[in-house]
Amino acid sequence: MHDNIRWLIPSSDKTLPCGEESEIVVSSRIRVARNLENIPFELKMKQTDAEYLIGLVRSIIDGKVNGEFLNLRDLKPLERESLLECHLVSPGFITKEKPTSVFISEGGNLSVMINEEDHLRFQGIGCGLNFSGLSSEVFRLEGYVSDNVSFAYNDNYGYLTSCLTNIGTGMRASVFMHLPGLVFTNEVEKVLKGALQIGMTVRGIYGEGSEIRGSLFQISNQHTIGFKEEDLLERITKLAKMIIDIEKKARDVIMTKARSEFEDKIFRSVAILKAARTINSMEVLNLLSALRFGVGVGIVKDITLQTLNEIMVLSRPANIQLYFGEMLEEQERDIKRAEYIRKRLGAN
Amino acid sequence: MLCDDCRNKPASIFFKEVLPDKTVELHLCDECASKRGLLVTKKLSPQEILQKLLRQKSAQDEKIICPNCYMSLAEFKRVGRFGCNQCITTFDDHIKHLIKQIHQSDRHIGRKSSSGTKKGFEIYKLREDLKNALDSEAYEDAAKIRDKLKDYGIEDA
Repeated sequence: MHDNIRWLIPSSDKTLPCGEESEIVVSSRIRVARNLENIPFELKMKQTDAEYLIGLVRSIIDGKVNGEFLNLRDLKPLERESLLECHLVSPGFITKEKPTSVFISEGGNLSVMINEEDHLRFQGIGCGLNFSGLSSEVFRLEGYVSDNVSFAYNDNYGYLTSCLTNIGTGMRASVFMHLPGLVFTNEVEKVLKGALQIGMTVRGIYGEGSEIRGSLFQISNQHTIGFKEEDLLERITKLAKMIIDIEKKARDVIMTKARSEFEDKIFRSVAILKAARTINSMEVLNLLSALRFGVGVGIVKDITLQTLNEIMVLSRPANIQLYFGEMLEEQERDIKRAEYIRKRLGAN
Repeated sequence: MLCDDCRNKPASIFFKEVLPDKTVELHLCDECASKRGLLVTKKLSPQEILQKLLRQKSAQDEKIICPNCYMSLAEFKRVGRFGCNQCITTFDDHIKHLIKQIHQSDRHIGRKSSSGTKKGFEIYKLREDLKNALDSEAYEDAAKIRDKLKDYGIEDA
């Protein structure tokens, strides 16, 4: 059951090593939008255009990068939901009626959505702060396609996209940060206002309109034209490093002023995760936030960030069902989720 | 350091403005920076700016039509998305200011698109032809197509 994407679900033997500052930066992501010049854009394209584009991109990428193409209409609703939970596709993509396909590289760090709002959306995602590594991988993949087709491009406006909000570079870089220190010292708003001043936007972790949960924040660029790609990546890296510094200072404040209170919160969170018999995904997110903080400041020593990252992704509703290979009602899901987490943290 | 304006609260914002004849440097607290309009507390997102701008309609909008995909400027303002790569040239005079307002720039200085070839299309078409030739057992045609694919460096077809 659900073999189409089972290989994507992380397991303890293939958890990726974490990049720089990964106790604060959960992940970095780059997304690049491209359209082909001689096919109507997504809004006006016919079913045959959509199918043709999938075949074309497949013929170009196949054999160059190890991975798989998944046609969304061949997937079960749960599998589509799971791709969303793994941040490999966008919410709008899984409900499209046109033929759509996603290429996912082995290991899941590179992907290409075909027939999203733009013909192609290349994406690179990695844990920790590592935009230079990610950008070379994403543009290498984009390069394979651009060597073989003509992208919609204009000397004044750069790469042309369906929506004006992506025109120019077509690039959106995001960094997901865990900032419990700033939440504690009430500095979040100040930092976020600062980000806004320099053209960055801040949202909750599951994208536009979503609320901020588990002290997790997503920072990304608002503007896509008028700068070089590498300058933008440098700017967002600089901002992330500045926020990391403030977060580290705030964590020092916690450790001197409220150590016992936080130690208590952290160890209670560990205890609940190791003992709970039923647990919903929202509670997991909040407990993981405390635990992540505990690992970051060295209070919790026997749990790694990779394990926490894995639990964060796998305890989402669709993923937990795929992990156990069966459809589960909400109540059963909460029981199985608790079972998986106990096992993963080495409890009974 | 205290705020240059109120001389009361600690300065948290450094503001520097380079004018043709002089440079102004100010250290301000949040409140005074806000009073001077230097602190943006709520900024519209590009999406919100776009929606606001697209609401400005004109009677001419129905008459300006993309010759390639037949999208009218009126339709573009309704859906907020282009129909093809030629819409932008067709609507240029009417959308130039939108790009500037959304992104604070209307000039691309990033990566340039390589001249672009149609190689991919040709290879893809040849592969489709090869599949059809094999399906219909036209092996001579298939061999010819394979040769053409070899010219493109494709050996495994």
